[in-house]
Amino acid sequence: MRRSLALPLVAVGGIAALALAVPFLPLASPTAMAVGQRMAGPSAAHWLGQDEFGRDVLSRLLWGARASLAVAGLSAGIACVVGTALGLAGGFLGKLAELLVLRGVDVVLCFPPLLLALLVVTLLGPGAATLVPVLALVFLPGFVRVTYAGVLSVRRNEYVDAMRVLGAGPLRIMLRTILPNIAGPVLVQLSLAAAAAVLLESGLTFLGLGVLPPAPSWGLMIASARSTMVQAPLLLLWPALALSGTVLAMNALCDALRDAADPHRAPVRGLRRLVASLSPAIPPGTGALLDVAGLTVEIDTPQGPIQPVRGVSLTVAAGQSLAIVGESGSGKTLTGLAVMGLLPPAARVVHGAAYLQGRDLLRLSEGDLRRVRGNAVAMVFQDPLSSLNPVHRVGAQIAEAMRAHARPAGRALVAGLLGRVGIPDPARRARSFPHELSGGMRQRAMIAIGIANDPALLIADEPTTALDVTIQAQVLDLLARLRRQNGMGMVLITHSLPVVAEMADSVAIMYAGEVVETGPAAEVLAAPLHPYTQALLRSAPSEDGRLPEAIPGVVPPPHALPQGCLFAPRCALAEAACRGERPLLLDVAPGRASRCLRWQVLEGAA
Amino acid sequence: MSWALRRVGVSLALIWIVASIVFLAIRMVPGDPAELLLSQGGAAPDPSTVAALREQLGLDRPVGEQYLDAFRRLLRGDFGNSLQDDSKVSAEIMLRLPRTLELIAAAALIALLAGVPSGLAAGLRPGRAFDRLGSAAAAVVLAVPVFVTGTVMVLVFAQGLHWVSAGGYVALAKDPARHFSLLAMPAIAISAGLSATVFRMTRAAVLDVSGRDYVRTARAKGVRPVRIVLRHVLRNALVPVVTVLALQLGTLLGGTVLVEFVFNYPGLSGLLVSAVNARDYPQVQGVILVISILFVTLNLLVDLLYGFLDPRARRT
Repeated sequence: MRRSLALPLVAVGGIAALALAVPFLPLASPTAMAVGQRMAGPSAAHWLGQDEFGRDVLSRLLWGARASLAVAGLSAGIACVVGTALGLAGGFLGKLAELLVLRGVDVVLCFPPLLLALLVVTLLGPGAATLVPVLALVFLPGFVRVTYAGVLSVRRNEYVDAMRVLGAGPLRIMLRTILPNIAGPVLVQLSLAAAAAVLLESGLTFLGLGVLPPAPSWGLMIASARSTMVQAPLLLLWPALALSGTVLAMNALCDALRDAADPHRAPVRGLRRLVASLSPAIPPGTGALLDVAGLTVEIDTPQGPIQPVRGVSLTVAAGQSLAIVGESGSGKTLTGLAVMGLLPPAARVVHGAAYLQGRDLLRLSEGDLRRVRGNAVAMVFQDPLSSLNPVHRVGAQIAEAMRAHARPAGRALVAGLLGRVGIPDPARRARSFPHELSGGMRQRAMIAIGIANDPALLIADEPTTALDVTIQAQVLDLLARLRRQNGMGMVLITHSLPVVAEMADSVAIMYAGEVVETGPAAEVLAAPLHPYTQALLRSAPSEDGRLPEAIPGVVPPPHALPQGCLFAPRCALAEAACRGERPLLLDVAPGRASRCLRWQVLEGAA
Repeated sequence: MSWALRRVGVSLALIWIVASIVFLAIRMVPGDPAELLLSQGGAAPDPSTVAALREQLGLDRPVGEQYLDAFRRLLRGDFGNSLQDDSKVSAEIMLRLPRTLELIAAAALIALLAGVPSGLAAGLRPGRAFDRLGSAAAAVVLAVPVFVTGTVMVLVFAQGLHWVSAGGYVALAKDPARHFSLLAMPAIAISAGLSATVFRMTRAAVLDVSGRDYVRTARAKGVRPVRIVLRHVLRNALVPVVTVLALQLGTLLGGTVLVEFVFNYPGLSGLLVSAVNARDYPQVQGVILVISILFVTLNLLVDLLYGFLDPRARRT
């Protein structure tokens, strides 16, 4: 739901233009009294009627807009210029400037805004001339903080260092590099301050401490309408509407500016699951533990729907392990999430089936699927820090997995699980929060959650990517040991071929959303029958001292797939036929399949 | 622990600076406070009266001496006497402070009860009818100034429908029912804008948290949706919501001024406005100091509360 910038911009611009044009409009004098026509209703000469002194309401309303906007615009503008300068100075001119600016802001922030205004008004007396510096002071800290934060994040960037090396002085660096970079947040802050200034100005004026009578002002109009509001409620309504409408337009402008400055805030939403339009069920063939057939995932993007996973079929026998291998963006993680029914909101399965022990997970109701998730099939995610809830203790998060499936989850059971995944002093560790554990420990805790209910299948999505190299081997050993001990099937999603060699019985190589080769892991690694697999093998560091070779080119993005074989543009073996029809995944040897037209060339070479 | 002590130390230093600024500011204004006070009528004041008042206020002594003296008395809780009726400033503040605190607490309670559930419902189903309606309503409510809300409430509920009286205050011990009926109007007026803020904060936090990896983990565990919403989404979303609400309450310490004025509620900010109008310096100084101390203390409590809500922020 993206907010449009045009409408609020037109509204605020219109109000401002009206306020500027007031002196040139054919209006009655806002201060001319006509006591004989006190509180007269609307007439041809006075469209909105007359107030308790017989003054023209419309004229006072428009002149009031001028007063309000002048005070608000001026004070927000001064606060913006001074605050931005102070923030730049504090962020760029060394420790002393930093200390003075930040502590000074802290002192100003010790006073609630309205209180600060009251204190200054006490000392300097009421009036518009006092109001502007008061409001500027109130909004100053916001600009200093926004600018200072912006400088902090920008000044670490390399191009700032580069400019310093090139001999640019601090002033030049500030004006040339930093100011344009923080312009967005400062602009948002400016519109926020202007809207808040309109509110504060009218409030202070309402109390008799701001704009002084007889000058026309919305705050004064509302204050004086209070005494006659039972007889003439319209006198209260007009300034109230003008004030609220102006603030509403300015707030809308703030929101739109904020969205424009930070595009990540606008969420893309879609349907979560789409069971009805799935193609007819594909019957389970093999009676395997997991049987994925023809899985296709679609994602809505601003450029239209894309299919990052297409026609993926996989099989895992009970107690066996399958590795899904591919570069980033090959669709391997989405495949795992689709099986679990955990696709992000914008993604959905549009075709295929995923049988776990004979039941199609893709066609289960959300309630039935919930009883399967974490129970018969569990998943371990890539980044254990973000995947554990930071505010709950590790033990409680493990116990929750067991309780979700109505199993006992006493302290001893949780500690036992933590012990099984190799966490020392498990009873004490259960009471730790995730941030108190090391990365390896956190991933062990995630694995403990995964195996809490003895699942038949564990899907591990790059379980070691976020860990130190020394810890990676330990976590893989743990997974291998648990699989043996529990007779658990496993899908291991990885981009590392050495891991496959160590961990997997069979392997599926994915490229650009499709499976390009499958087979027993040892055979595929020893004699690949797809050039992509071969290229992957060459790109991995090997033990015989051969240097790794990078694969030329990049994976084609899902919205711009090439004709024919998807790997052809990066393939040394490609010939004319490869750029015609898209090749199918065909059985090429017992237990092995390849999506390459020229697999025989590879077989002959091996 | 040393972190908390340091934080308390910084807060005390800030309070000291605030007190000094208030003290100095009053003496830095052009013109003599005593003269300013006595020349209210427009006529030039009698020099001997001015001298007498200067002596009474201690303004004839050197500024340094006045400063030390003022601080010695402040530490004893003595804020001086009102220039209007010579009553103790601290006594008047202690009488009115609880009323303002009660008003703020009532408004905060209403805002939480209204803003959190509606924000949660909107954030869980963004873009649906309830979210659109709630977001639009919040935008409108935020645009209406509190004194307009209050004035319209007086017009409709007091003068139009005669449900409640237009304003005032009755002690709880005297007449509990009337106490709460008089409290309700200003509290609701304040809570309108506050509820809208809480709604927007909650909605944004829920949207953010819903997309986090740990919510996906909870779903992967097979946790029931209600439990995911309460224990994972709402629990984490409340961290920023409660923090911002607490900071908002701080600004309300001075911000009840308008509502107290509209509803004729004899709270602390009302005292401040009348003291400002009467140029009663000791009273202005005392009220501002008390509110600033409360404000700084509240900010300190927010930091500690944040540590309580988010274990990552706890320092040991």
